[in-house]
Amino acid sequence: MIQHFPVLAVMLLFLGAFCVEIFGSKNEGIRNTITMLAATIALVLIYALIKPVMIDGEIISYWMGNWAPVSGYAIGIGYEIDALSLFFALLVVTTFWLSGVYSLSYMANDHHLGHYYTLYLMLSGSVLGLVMTGDVFNMFVMVEIMTFASVALTAFRNENEGTLEAGFKYLVIGSMGSSFTLTGIALIYGQCHTLNMAQISAQLSCGGLTPTTVMALALIVAGFGVKSYIVPFHTPAADAYMVAPTSISMIFSGMVNKAGVYGMIRVLYIIFRVMDQSNVQMLIVLFGAVTMFIGVTMALTQHEFKRLLAFHSISQIGYVITAIGLGSALGLTSGLFHAMNHTLFKGLLFLTAGAVLYATGTTNLDKLGGLSKRMPKTTICFLIGAFSISGLPPFNGFVSKWLVYQATYTKAVESGNFVYAIVTVVALVVSVMTLASFIKVTQAVFFGQLPAELKKTKEVPAAMLVPMYIMSALCVLCGIFYPIVNKYLLYPATNAALNVTNYIDKMMGDGYAAGLGVSNIEVAPAAFSFWNPIVWLILFVVIFIAAFIVITGSKSSRGQLLQPGVKYDPKYATFFSGEEELFSQVGGSDLFWGFKTDWKGYYRVLEGLHSGIVTDYAVFTVIATAIITLCMFIFMR
Amino acid sequence: MLILKSLFYILIFPGALFTSCFGLFLAGVDRKVVARMQHRIGPPLRQPMYDFFKLLGKETIIPHAANKLAFLAAPVIGFVSLALIMLFIPVGGFTAFSGNADMIVILYLITIPGVALIVGGSSSGSPYAGIGISREMVTMMAYELPFVLVLLAVARKAGGSELAFSMEKVAMWQAENGNMLFQWSMIPAAIAMLLVVPAEVGTQPFDVAEAETEICEGPLIEYSGGALGMFKLNTAMKMFVMSGLFVSLFLGGIRTGSVLCDIIIFIVLCVVVTIICMSTTHAVTARLKIEHLFKFYWTFVAGMALCSLILVWCGL
Repeated sequence: MIQHFPVLAVMLLFLGAFCVEIFGSKNEGIRNTITMLAATIALVLIYALIKPVMIDGEIISYWMGNWAPVSGYAIGIGYEIDALSLFFALLVVTTFWLSGVYSLSYMANDHHLGHYYTLYLMLSGSVLGLVMTGDVFNMFVMVEIMTFASVALTAFRNENEGTLEAGFKYLVIGSMGSSFTLTGIALIYGQCHTLNMAQISAQLSCGGLTPTTVMALALIVAGFGVKSYIVPFHTPAADAYMVAPTSISMIFSGMVNKAGVYGMIRVLYIIFRVMDQSNVQMLIVLFGAVTMFIGVTMALTQHEFKRLLAFHSISQIGYVITAIGLGSALGLTSGLFHAMNHTLFKGLLFLTAGAVLYATGTTNLDKLGGLSKRMPKTTICFLIGAFSISGLPPFNGFVSKWLVYQATYTKAVESGNFVYAIVTVVALVVSVMTLASFIKVTQAVFFGQLPAELKKTKEVPAAMLVPMYIMSALCVLCGIFYPIVNKYLLYPATNAALNVTNYIDKMMGDGYAAGLGVSNIEVAPAAFSFWNPIVWLILFVVIFIAAFIVITGSKSSRGQLLQPGVKYDPKYATFFSGEEELFSQVGGSDLFWGFKTDWKGYYRVLEGLHSGIVTDYAVFTVIATAIITLCMFIFMR
Repeated sequence: MLILKSLFYILIFPGALFTSCFGLFLAGVDRKVVARMQHRIGPPLRQPMYDFFKLLGKETIIPHAANKLAFLAAPVIGFVSLALIMLFIPVGGFTAFSGNADMIVILYLITIPGVALIVGGSSSGSPYAGIGISREMVTMMAYELPFVLVLLAVARKAGGSELAFSMEKVAMWQAENGNMLFQWSMIPAAIAMLLVVPAEVGTQPFDVAEAETEICEGPLIEYSGGALGMFKLNTAMKMFVMSGLFVSLFLGGIRTGSVLCDIIIFIVLCVVVTIICMSTTHAVTARLKIEHLFKFYWTFVAGMALCSLILVWCGL
């Protein structure tokens, strides 16, 4: 029974997509019912797999049309769900379900919603299929559906400026990535005569790497690099995240680029198993470090809320790539945890950006201000997201970043390689820069003074607030109850990525892996000894009581809110050197002056590179792929 | 029992009460020493304490442009996190919480009072505060790089071939091998740390964020009464926490055998560090510009710390 669940979930989403287009393009009620029904059932089906896969340690396999392997050769399409797949599948279903709930009211005023929900379900189904499939060509098909659904959704609000441009950039760069992946898969097929991941893995590990497979590896890694937007493949991301409807931006950062990360892990750790080579580790880690640094420095100068978040997505994916590139169990655990946390806090931040856009009609950091008095609930959710992404304790970002530092510095000490120490320093400095750019958003959007044209802004409806509350709660809980998350999600997933024998045997029959000489590695759970949840809970209570006493007990007084024509007590006015109070908001572009002047040269180079011309970006993509290929050929053993 | 013990650590020793008392004492010492260097008599040592209690009794005015919750909660959050940092710093030989990674925890906890100041200032709605928080954040980015390098160098030195982000291991290493400060490869890191301390506390010449002569105390401009008192207390506590961190990183090797004596030595060393790196620089320098401050920390100070890290890495 349970082995049908994954494929049913994927099928339901695709079926829902067609049904929405056929029955629901005119009627709102039918459309929403079909969408939410498909999304909710998929969510339940995937959550039902937690017990057998994560807790009991089973691997679920499913052969489409019951085409089981014949005499040791896989001929049909297989689905195979190990803990790593399920880990990402859980992120995917949570993200798209929350995004669906949010869409119901966020998108209510748009036109052609039938198309929107069709594409939304296609995108959800394709990413879910991608993380659960056991067949490389099926994976490519899902990547294609994902790319084209994303392109169409990026350009969905095509009456707005820049949407078509963003869609075009996404189309060009995304298609290049897909073609790299396809070429790589073709080469692999030529070498191994099979498309089943388990069988490829078994054959490659007994046959060793040939020039063909090295080329295939380089191309597939570049292809998934494009999908996860590591620098220099990141170029379409900023535009796409900015102009897409916010519910879709959340899906992009929450699951579409996680699909790229998943592909990387699957290819590097399970199919090719090259992560024990120090040169490959170094290559991936350097890409990750460059990604996080360039992402965050670009984010610091943005004037647009969603564009800033887009660059932060790139930067945080840099952390994930760095961590998984280390090739150690601790590194993989921290990478997976950071990927999960990134889904939570970045989803939350995109939702708050969407709420601001919905309430005010703009996300320009120089035009907003003072919204905390009009939208207090959104402000609290935003602050939780901002503190999580900046890694302040006790939120979830702190724990995963801590693990990343620990993993990189352990690697530096163990291998004696100074580069990893520098990577640790970069990761720590990037963290404080992340904090800086969220302080900028806090000041420019939520605090400061309220412009006259925003005086009538209202809090967003409950259907938009509920997903934000769920995400905020998850951000806090995953931080405090890290040991539980580690035990039931991270450790099984890490273990699954490092031990391929079970993965191969489940698909190809017992003893297949052993027959080809593939063996397991023992993995110890990552230690995090000082993290005592009780102590942190006590602290929370103490902080809460202290804040409560001070706020209610202090002898404080405040004036009435400003009304036109009513005289108010000047005691409650803000200080203006004795002059009459004026509107003067310190907006996004006004902040961090000293920093920006000192980095003028650096930013001039970076702005020159981000020219906005698709040809340039295509050239970056090709050059980076060439570099990856060359490095793999030169350094791979 | 665990709960009672944790509450004692957090509320009394070495948490809130201990840190605030000695923080205010250090602030008094600082004022007195600066005054003597400038040929003034200076206030009595208890003056910061009088100021604090006086402010607690005053009315807190919340401007109508401010967000009440953030405006009032910010100083409290800063206070709690400062009390918390002391639990991770070995006071003499005594550490309340320990574990395998408290350096990074300290690094992050130390940013929270800064963030609280920024959020509080930002929520007051004043443009002066807007400028102030911008400078505070740039200062934070400036000293973070050398600070990280110093911590990594110390961790590497104390850990040897294995990783030790733990303050306890640093203390143990120093108890065996003598003070970190007397290792010649660590001297550049110690100098860098001596420069990080005043920037973190925000004393002259690194008080660009609160420059009272140009932007009228920046983030604190709208604060009054108890909330202002809390922020003043936070600054005083930061002095104690940061000088304490320096002492336990570089001078933690002095052991007399009795915990009480060790704690007294710790406090005396904190006073010495405060006088060297905060009072003296305060008395003899004028305020830097923000872009000069940033450049100074990312070139000179970070360079010193990097020197140490490389030397340590080469096994010296």
